[in-house]
Amino acid sequence: MYLVFYKTNDVFVAEEKLQEYNVETEIVPTPVQDKAYCGVCVKILANKEVVLSVLDGMDYKIIE
Amino acid sequence: MIYFDNAATTRNKPKEVLEAFNYYVAEIGTSPGRGSYSLGIQASRMLYQSRKTVAKFFGITNPENVVFTKNSTEGINLFFNGYLKSGDHVLISPYEHNAVLRPLHNLKIKGVIDYTVLPDEAIYDAAHHFEKYIRPNTSLIAITLASNLTGQIVFNNGISQIANKYHIKMFVDASQGAGKKLLNMQRDGIDVLAFTGHKDLMALPGVGGVCSQDALNITPLIQGGTGIYGDEFTNPQAYPEAYEAGTLNMPAIWSLKTAIEIIEKNIESNAKYETRLLEVLLDGLQKDPNIVLYETDKLRVPVICFNVQGVSSSDVVAYLDKQGICVRGGIHCAILAHMQIGTVRTGAVRVSLNAYNTLEEVEKFIRIIGDIKNVFGIL
Repeated sequence: MYLVFYKTNDVFVAEEKLQEYNVETEIVPTPVQDKAYCGVCVKILANKEVVLSVLDGMDYKIIE
Repeated sequence: MIYFDNAATTRNKPKEVLEAFNYYVAEIGTSPGRGSYSLGIQASRMLYQSRKTVAKFFGITNPENVVFTKNSTEGINLFFNGYLKSGDHVLISPYEHNAVLRPLHNLKIKGVIDYTVLPDEAIYDAAHHFEKYIRPNTSLIAITLASNLTGQIVFNNGISQIANKYHIKMFVDASQGAGKKLLNMQRDGIDVLAFTGHKDLMALPGVGGVCSQDALNITPLIQGGTGIYGDEFTNPQAYPEAYEAGTLNMPAIWSLKTAIEIIEKNIESNAKYETRLLEVLLDGLQKDPNIVLYETDKLRVPVICFNVQGVSSSDVVAYLDKQGICVRGGIHCAILAHMQIGTVRTGAVRVSLNAYNTLEEVEKFIRIIGDIKNVFGIL
């Protein structure tokens, strides 16, 4: 699952928040889509519900 | 050699700052937001960490509201040109650096804005003398934290209280004094602040920026590559990247992060030490009847300016240089401040200390300046 953010800053905010909750993260190139967002995104293997809870209030989209 | 020109650029940096710079250049060496390989990602992560450090240092909660530029001048231009609109009026102190004066004056001669230079009483007794200068169209108050000429602290909470009361944007130019940790934007009611890294923040030259409590929401100063939304034909509506078009000076930014961490550790001991150096310097100069000192009654950063009666400021600078002492003469890019203290025609000699200076250096300086009357034949 990829978490795609609109700002690079938010990628690292998310990385910090998820790591605080022991969610394993990896910063990887954003998968090519219809629009070029931020060049990197957060890849995770965790349960989606955990992510939604930890990143509540942040602006991003999920690519499964 | 004795270096007393720290208000221009601090020459001696903490070794950790130089190590941080070298580490970035040697081990990272890539630009943030410009590569999705590991080293590029690490550069972006380090940029984020740097924003966090700067945000915390200046007392703002959101690291996104830290915009990096190449220096405070660029940051000030970014903010003024983006924020001010046609018909606006700005209030400034009589101690502003040309970095504040010139962008405003340029907007004035283009017919975009008007500005008023406040008198001393409005700065130092704002509660009683400030409000009469506010016009219905006053949208900005811009005040330097400390004078780069005299060293006196200019910004004070009396001014920001009035700005906040009238919902006027409060801007502080912290180019001088930022590293002394004299302010906290939230606590002191400052909306926007500009800083530069290479002076008392002790970083390497090439990094400065703008901090704001709320998102700036202004037009970027320059257009270009931002590393994101590369398919758009103008800077994207994504901040702070939209204000930072072009490659950032990341080695200097990383040096700034480290420098701030060092400052935080040593803030009290450095302040005490610098105060002692300043006391000895002022005491020594005040005993010399040939020396004219300016604005010594004000709270200050460790910067003073003076003239020697009967000797031009440029001759004093040249004389001191021959003795191995670096001080700065002339107008110091601060014409308003020279107008204020009456030294436009003569210039003045500025001595700016920091914690890398020693008591022995200050005492030697006092001895050498004391001999100047013999050198120039003053009776």
